[in-house]
Amino acid sequence: MRRWGIAAALACVAVPAQGWAADKVPPLPPYVAAYQPTNVDERGAWMMADEEERHLRDAADVIRDPALNAYVRGVLCRTVGEDRCNAVRLYILRVPAFNATMSANGTMTIWSGALLRLRSEAELGAVLGHEFGHFELRHTLSGFRNRRSGTDLMAWASILIANSSALQMSTIGGFYAFDRAQETSADMIGVRYLATSRYPSAAAADVWERIMGEADATAIGRHRKANQRYAAGFFATHPTSLARATYLRDAAQAIADGGSAEGNAYRAALAPWLPTFLADQVKLNDFGGSEFVLAQLAADGWTTPLLFARGELYRERGNPRDLVAAAGFYQQAIDRGDAPAEAYRGLGLALLRGQQAGPAGIALREYLRRKPDAADAPLITTLVAS
Amino acid sequence: MRRLVCAVIAAVVSAMLVAVPVQAQEKTGVKPGFELRPGTARIVLLRPSIKVGAQSTAGMFEPNADWTAQARENIDAALAQAQNSLGNTVTDYVEPVNADPAILSEYQALFDAVAQSVIEYQFFPGNRLPTKKRDGQFEWGLGGDVAKLPGLAGADYALFVTTEDHFGSTGRKVLQIFAALARVPVTAGVHKGFAGLVDLRTGELVWLNADMQMGGDVRESDGAQKRVRQLLEGFPGKPAAAPVTVASAH
Repeated sequence: MRRWGIAAALACVAVPAQGWAADKVPPLPPYVAAYQPTNVDERGAWMMADEEERHLRDAADVIRDPALNAYVRGVLCRTVGEDRCNAVRLYILRVPAFNATMSANGTMTIWSGALLRLRSEAELGAVLGHEFGHFELRHTLSGFRNRRSGTDLMAWASILIANSSALQMSTIGGFYAFDRAQETSADMIGVRYLATSRYPSAAAADVWERIMGEADATAIGRHRKANQRYAAGFFATHPTSLARATYLRDAAQAIADGGSAEGNAYRAALAPWLPTFLADQVKLNDFGGSEFVLAQLAADGWTTPLLFARGELYRERGNPRDLVAAAGFYQQAIDRGDAPAEAYRGLGLALLRGQQAGPAGIALREYLRRKPDAADAPLITTLVAS
Repeated sequence: MRRLVCAVIAAVVSAMLVAVPVQAQEKTGVKPGFELRPGTARIVLLRPSIKVGAQSTAGMFEPNADWTAQARENIDAALAQAQNSLGNTVTDYVEPVNADPAILSEYQALFDAVAQSVIEYQFFPGNRLPTKKRDGQFEWGLGGDVAKLPGLAGADYALFVTTEDHFGSTGRKVLQIFAALARVPVTAGVHKGFAGLVDLRTGELVWLNADMQMGGDVRESDGAQKRVRQLLEGFPGKPAAAPVTVASAH
């Protein structure tokens, strides 16, 4: 299974052609509809993927909201084209991490953490197009064969050669270099899908620049050194975010296409799920990263769900100063008039831990009044009474 | 760094070359006191999990769709035939329309996890967990909610069957010979399977049979019959005529 992940590291691969003119995007390879696997290895890979898809289809963490599924699928079809997207079953998984995957048989997943971080249809199209690239280029098959021939070599070497550790090490390094080359080629075909679609191809690089920003914010929040490198490590399965942002930016500049990224449409489509995805993100215990994601989402102003999530984030960290800040965010959300009842609970609890029992009681009673059948109502009632 | 890489290589190579021998291991467990009298129970057979492929020279699994399809056909036929000798009614599970498929999928995954735990922590007597050390104890289950599974109303027991075969490739066998000359033990082929019976009223696992070195080539119909016979060895409630020895867990 190929993955588009945050964890990345670098490609020793030729960086793309610099000379693409606006009307000279290399044409997409001819596409065969309803492709069927041909040889024994590929048929085996499809069989395994079919079995996995049986489980995935029935898995509890698949988001089945028809509106969201239709929207994400629509973006995929507009990016890669109607004939190509018919080969894909797309599953949205509720996992709060930035990732998407593709299997040999055309099973694509995108995780809710990716939907939270992306900011426009063009960026979503960049991620989905990259995954579709793995499928169109049959990467599962070539990856499997690369592993098999490499491990065969290692097995023989370990028996026939007295001291084969250098050969073995270079073979292992070769596996990861091969993976990174596949990722780069999927990135490059993804840019070509974007270039032929209505979306601007610059969106692909934007994704990676923000992912780097978030990785740095997470590192700083955890008192580690922010460390973006261009060169990938020995065991890295993906090029580094910096390398990807760089070569994707170069490619987009060479193509120099226009088009609307459709940021507003994306925000509107994601709005019903935003509070859920934010709640999942806040629970990750990643203060720096979550604060960065919130700030990115609030680029056009702080909305009620963002203020509420920020209140939860600060209250969860719970330093005395965080409780003051959290109470402020809850209050701002409430002042906007469309805050969920939980904002009153958050406000009350933050004030209570800040030794302000009077105002805390008022907020908590308001929570109970607005949501009398809440699961934690008995607990909050006890708290108010004491 | 170099030491780490060497350790990784050593681990990879040893994982590829050395298969832990699975001897001195129990193969069957029955819940003490459990008895299934012939003709008293309705048993539902869930979709068997079957994987067949080759084993590359270095030991990687190479899934083979044709072999798996043949094995599924042969094992289904062999199971249908074996049902006659099991002494109780066995029917295939039919998933009801409009039911929540997520629940069944979760229970199949749970059964696999429990079965693996039994194999690891019950069938290796030296490996038993502190709560599982008593003699004759066989106390495993999926939880009582299994009774709520859609489409199982009226059934008493669920039968799970799993097999996995990696046939050693020619390259693997040649490697095995060369490795033997170099005094490195290399095994060719993986043939493992397990079958289990779950009481649908209580969720308890009442019988489990697991074998990490099974016989019978599932790609052939005779081999599949032999495999099914081995999988169902010790099945509770078989008519007494069948030459079966039940080794209960101790």
